[in-house]
Amino acid sequence: MEPVHLFNLLSLQRGWLSARQSVVSQNIAHANTPGYKTQEISDFAKALDRSASLQMETTNPSHQTSTPRTGEVASARDGDAWEVTHSGNNVSLEAELIKAGDIRSDFSMDTNILKTFHGMWLSSLKG
Amino acid sequence: MDPLVASQKVAGSGLAAQSARLRVVSENLANAMSTGQTAGADPYRRKTISFASELDRVSGAALVRVGPVGTDRAPFNVEHDPGNPAADANGNVLVPNVNTIVELADMREANRAYEANLQTMKQTQSLLSMTIDLLKGNP
Repeated sequence: MEPVHLFNLLSLQRGWLSARQSVVSQNIAHANTPGYKTQEISDFAKALDRSASLQMETTNPSHQTSTPRTGEVASARDGDAWEVTHSGNNVSLEAELIKAGDIRSDFSMDTNILKTFHGMWLSSLKG
Repeated sequence: MDPLVASQKVAGSGLAAQSARLRVVSENLANAMSTGQTAGADPYRRKTISFASELDRVSGAALVRVGPVGTDRAPFNVEHDPGNPAADANGNVLVPNVNTIVELADMREANRAYEANLQTMKQTQSLLSMTIDLLKGNP
């Protein structure tokens, strides 16, 4: 039987979206912190590539893996900022709320796909 | 720690920071006319607040920390009011260096940032409940 990649893919994307949500809320919380630069997480394609590549096996929680699974946080490029205030802060609340909207719709889509496929799976098991 | 839980923690620290800022704004507004008690005494000095970033070692997220509350070193305004108990020999009174319009603008900005933090908190909550709702509805 072919392995079902769908659930793995969905949980990977949900993990990535959660990490992105936490970065967005961090940006919003720091909307007035002097010198704070907007953070952005690496895109999903990269997180997907990394999870597909070979990973070191961990047999103990204290073992460190070579790369985090959910993407890494980095400062966004300066050109991406909508506005920079005098204090050196370049968080735009509007841009962050747009990102939050994207996250919400993607997360909701993932959840619905997961629910639907799980229902299909169950109905095929029950016969 | 789960990123969504970390996200709520960060949004909560943002709410706390913005409400501390609102507190300082209201202190400034309330004391906008608080002169000194004796002749020639200094009146209320405008307070300022600053935020800083602080790494939360449990979640790896950067929380907002309220920095020390400082004072505005701008000079006091002078008004001529010989009847005031705080008036000096020339009848001049030092009044606080609070500009009400500036404080109101600051209040609006704090309000906006507070609402944005509240919005992320609500959204994180709804993402969490979407996940939990996966458990129900499958008989």
